[in-house]
Amino acid sequence: MRFLTLAAALLFSFSAAAQTPAGYPADYGKTVDAAKKEGKLVIYATTDAVAANPLVKDFESLYPGISVEYSDLNSTEVYNRFISESAAGSTADFIWSSAMDLQVKLVAEGKALAYASPEIPNLPKWAVWKNEAYGTTNEPIAFVYNKRIVPAGDVPQTHAALEKLLAAKPDFYKGKVTAYDPERSGVGYLFVNEDVKNWPDAWNLFREFGKTGARLYTSAGAMMERVGSGEHLIGYGIFGSYAIARAKKDPGIGIVLPKDFTLITSRVAFISKQAQHPNAAKLFLDYMLSKRGQTIIANQALLYSLRDDVEGPASAKAVRDEVGDKARPVEIGPGLLENLDQMKRLAFLKKWQAAMKGQ
Amino acid sequence: MPYAVIRFSVLAVMAIAVLAPLSLVGYQSFLSAPFFDSMARFTLDAYRFVFAESDFWVAFGTTLIVAGGMTVIALPLGAMLAFLMVRTDLPGRAWLEPMILIPLFVSAVVLAFGYVVALGPVGIVSTHVKALIGFIPWNIYSLTSLVVIAGLAHVPHVYLYTAAALRGLASDMEEAARVTGAGPWRVALNVSLPMVMPSMLFAGVLVFFLGFELFGLPLVLGDPQGLLVLTTYLYKLTNKLGVPSYQLMAVVVVVIVAVTAPLVYMQRILLRQAQRYVSVRGKGLKQAPLPLGPWRWVALAAILAWFTVTVIVPIAGITLRSFVVSWGEGVKLMEVLTLDHYRELLDYPNVIRGILNTLAIGVIGGAIAVVCYTAIALAIHRWQSGWTRVVDYLAMAPRAMPGLVAGLAMLWVFLFFKPFSPLKATLFSVWLAYTIVWLAYGMRLISGTLLQVGPELEESARTIGASALRTQLDITVPLIRYGFIASWLLIFLIFVREYSTGVYLLGPGTEVIGSLLVSLWGTGAVDLVSALSVVNVVMIALGLVVALRMGVRLHG
Amino acid sequence: MADLTVHSLGLRLGDNEILRGVSMSVPRGKVVAFLGPSGSGKTTLLRAIAGLETPHTGSIKIGDRALFDASRGINLPAEQRGLGLVFQSYALWPHRTVFDNVAYGLKLRKVSGDERKRRVEAALTHIGLGHLAARYPHQLSGGQQQRVALARALVYEPPVILLDEPLSNLDAKLREEARAWLRQLIVSLDLSALCVTHDQVEAMAIADKIVLLNGGVIEQEGTPTELYSQPRTLFAAEFMGSNNRLAGESAGGGKLRIGNDVLEGVARGDAPSGAPAVGVIRLERVKVVDAPGPNRIRMELKTQMYLGERFELVFALDKMLIRAYADEERALGSHYVEFPKDALWVFPQG
Repeated sequence: MRFLTLAAALLFSFSAAAQTPAGYPADYGKTVDAAKKEGKLVIYATTDAVAANPLVKDFESLYPGISVEYSDLNSTEVYNRFISESAAGSTADFIWSSAMDLQVKLVAEGKALAYASPEIPNLPKWAVWKNEAYGTTNEPIAFVYNKRIVPAGDVPQTHAALEKLLAAKPDFYKGKVTAYDPERSGVGYLFVNEDVKNWPDAWNLFREFGKTGARLYTSAGAMMERVGSGEHLIGYGIFGSYAIARAKKDPGIGIVLPKDFTLITSRVAFISKQAQHPNAAKLFLDYMLSKRGQTIIANQALLYSLRDDVEGPASAKAVRDEVGDKARPVEIGPGLLENLDQMKRLAFLKKWQAAMKGQ
Repeated sequence: MPYAVIRFSVLAVMAIAVLAPLSLVGYQSFLSAPFFDSMARFTLDAYRFVFAESDFWVAFGTTLIVAGGMTVIALPLGAMLAFLMVRTDLPGRAWLEPMILIPLFVSAVVLAFGYVVALGPVGIVSTHVKALIGFIPWNIYSLTSLVVIAGLAHVPHVYLYTAAALRGLASDMEEAARVTGAGPWRVALNVSLPMVMPSMLFAGVLVFFLGFELFGLPLVLGDPQGLLVLTTYLYKLTNKLGVPSYQLMAVVVVVIVAVTAPLVYMQRILLRQAQRYVSVRGKGLKQAPLPLGPWRWVALAAILAWFTVTVIVPIAGITLRSFVVSWGEGVKLMEVLTLDHYRELLDYPNVIRGILNTLAIGVIGGAIAVVCYTAIALAIHRWQSGWTRVVDYLAMAPRAMPGLVAGLAMLWVFLFFKPFSPLKATLFSVWLAYTIVWLAYGMRLISGTLLQVGPELEESARTIGASALRTQLDITVPLIRYGFIASWLLIFLIFVREYSTGVYLLGPGTEVIGSLLVSLWGTGAVDLVSALSVVNVVMIALGLVVALRMGVRLHG
Repeated sequence: MADLTVHSLGLRLGDNEILRGVSMSVPRGKVVAFLGPSGSGKTTLLRAIAGLETPHTGSIKIGDRALFDASRGINLPAEQRGLGLVFQSYALWPHRTVFDNVAYGLKLRKVSGDERKRRVEAALTHIGLGHLAARYPHQLSGGQQQRVALARALVYEPPVILLDEPLSNLDAKLREEARAWLRQLIVSLDLSALCVTHDQVEAMAIADKIVLLNGGVIEQEGTPTELYSQPRTLFAAEFMGSNNRLAGESAGGGKLRIGNDVLEGVARGDAPSGAPAVGVIRLERVKVVDAPGPNRIRMELKTQMYLGERFELVFALDKMLIRAYADEERALGSHYVEFPKDALWVFPQG
């Protein structure tokens, strides 16, 4: 009897606690009820389904009654689907993409629902824009290298060191460096643009890429694969999340967060204004930004959590431990729209093409 | 219902299915934004932009080089192969024939992955060669390699048509030459070769045309060194301006179709001419094979070498990769064997869906496609009218679009015609794209089978009182039952092998193995790609085995 | 049942005029044979009547009912003409049994199952194949297939039955039996029949009336006797029977001059004196005699061939070769060959 009462009390307190997390507004329960009535949540995202799975499953267990329909697409697909379906009148509820500039563009065009998440106080300033676009992760952009072949003394700890290395040993590293192609990859363009913003000498490094015939790709996975196999030796501008996930499987891969500055990118999320299940979407956003959700991001999804109060191998804390105050987050805001300015883009790419020829 | 009405309806549906995607693409190329964007205006800007792009012209030039190079390689090799197989006493011809046709049924992306894995800079074969002679004498990512691989992979196409022509040669012409004193080799050169010229010409144009359609090979092999052909340039255009630009893509499609459409029609004319030289004299005139002497073993070895390089190396490569954890320099193969990648496949629900969808599209979709092709073929069967020419041309139009383009056009059709939009995210869109792309092939298969029904069998039904429709249902269709099964099998193989058409339609619910492979390769998930490729190869192999057991003739 | 009449039928295939104005009729209950060399248009004419080819001018009627009338724009499709057609290749459907093949016509006419069964069985019994109803065509001999094809065309009692070279696919031996049987069957059923053949012996054996076609027009029309004994043109004369051809000059009034000899014959057509003319005489009318006389020419016997029931003798004089029949062998060498006056037809040449 006592046991049953205890169990019931625990159950009651657990479910009650689950319904309204601490620090949330008192009427949050209304949102939860509305979401449960909606019963469904449609997500378009660029995060790998396998990586996102722990998040989705945990969310579903937290709010039973809401089933999540998760579509794993590449960033172009997400954008295309969203705009074409919006024109047709009905699309997904929650859009979560690592293409920061495209996400900001959609928000700037007024496609997002304005919603002040109760978790905002726990997030860094750069991660929230207009209460419409939210950064959810804190991913460092790293160097990766092949531990088997790259001599320990060569491993570059800073951008400047990489530049010096390539200038000093052009033959050893001929064709062995790989990076994103800013012409063919939106993410690639973003990274090199931010590099130039943060480090005026970046063009020297890029010229070294050109001189050593660096190979440019459009996917981190392809680059990781080739660094792992030894076809390339150093990968530049790799998402920390990919690197860490890959290094788990392949011990031959080494990761360096550059100490002179490390770009931090974030997977941006917004709720569609035309969402058919807006309350469920709100719940999911809050969940992802909550300590519970971020803990899963740091430990299981390995996407690098954003919050300071979360521990794990892929967390903001871990990044800070490694690079201290040299982290340079990309601000989520109208600044990103510059990347999509045709004239600026084409001018930058022209300069890039020249650098690839060593000029 | 009068037969004329049924016939008209069937053909009208076909015409719409064929013309809608093409027209939409053309329309889009003259707009300033995606066609569903309310801000889109009519403009020539898209054309101006693309034609001003040096990358576009470089891609065009590369495509020409690849197409031309492929033809130069495949044509002589294919013709020689046909000659060896049909006219000489080459040993092992019985089992060589199906072997030679295998490259026709392997997905190009799988082939490309296999080459990277086997012959890439740290490929399994490459590392061995490097250990032996200190360096790797080839660069798998160069234009030369691309041309060579593409050329070798298209040898079967040339072989098929040249061999059919050689077989159809009335031997009495050769015999007449022999009787007047010409030796067997002289006869081959002076009589047989000129007689199969039209077929060879046709095969040459076909291979050149296929060069414009190449997508999987240049995607995988061209990427590292930035080699672009028109199809991969199109694929890359998505990011040029940062924002997907449908109008630019449409321009590239228009350019591609402008080149390939004349080639398709040229093929038709050439095929007609070629068939005039093939005398279909029934009772298998036995042509005495020319003796090769000791050269037979050299010839056999050469053929086996070609097969090894073209099929065995890449497929063995990709199979091996699917069973190892990591590979490359410094890795000991024996230590890294694993079944993990196959287990991993199970973790990806979209991959599982993809495999099931591929089977569904192949088996069920294939059957439905055969029914559609039959309806259209029956509509023009023995129809005395100038309209059959029009229908023929219409059917050939989709052939001018590379699969990639067709899928894109299909996507836009579904977006444009609002009532169809909900279907976009279903397998129906992929099936429809496949069926339209392979319309000409499927119709030719069925028409060929229909023509085997003697006209008198249908005429006798008519005189007894059966209407045209009843005759087709009671007499023609039941008589080609076997042809249906054969066609269904061939369509199954084609659909399972497909990869480019589904790329733009890829999404949850519309995954098929081919487009998944392209997408997964893009994200660098080579483990998954290898395992999935092997699954694809196994599916096709099973299909081929069934087809061969049933005696289905793989030429189409 | 009414007459089948064809009036001024013209048919073009591409640029070729296959039929150039053909008019004929099939009287009720009679058998008419279309006879002619290949390319004469006989098969095309048959198919046009059946509705499988479309003429561009003329008309085809059964009684007053028009099957085709170019002037009125009437062109009934084949399935509505209600005729029977037996193909040269029989065209039995391989995927159906003999029973089903024959029953198809009744099924199309919505005859009930029992009635259908009765009529099919009756038809099959009538042609002597009742016991083969369950077999498939490939299990039958050529002769049996032909009979099934007939039964299939007759079972729904069409007013006219069309036969395309009905006997040509049979072996020589079978042909003779079959033509007797066929004629007997048609007559006994009181059918009107139209038969295409290239074999004049077959045409004469089967038909009540022969229509001889040449190059898309009717050369001559008449009973077999008329066609055989009274050919109106050189073509008709040479097409029927086995003939000798004597080339020479007309000497007026049916006389034919060959070298130094003048033969008297029957004038057919007008050959003015001195104009080139051709004499035609049937092989069996040529007599071999031992003495000179009127209408006799001295010739050398060069070869003789034994045909079983008689000998065929080959005579030569300069370039002229004459063939004749004989009951016994003759000695090689000089003989006199007689051309009886009433058997020798003299036609103008050209």
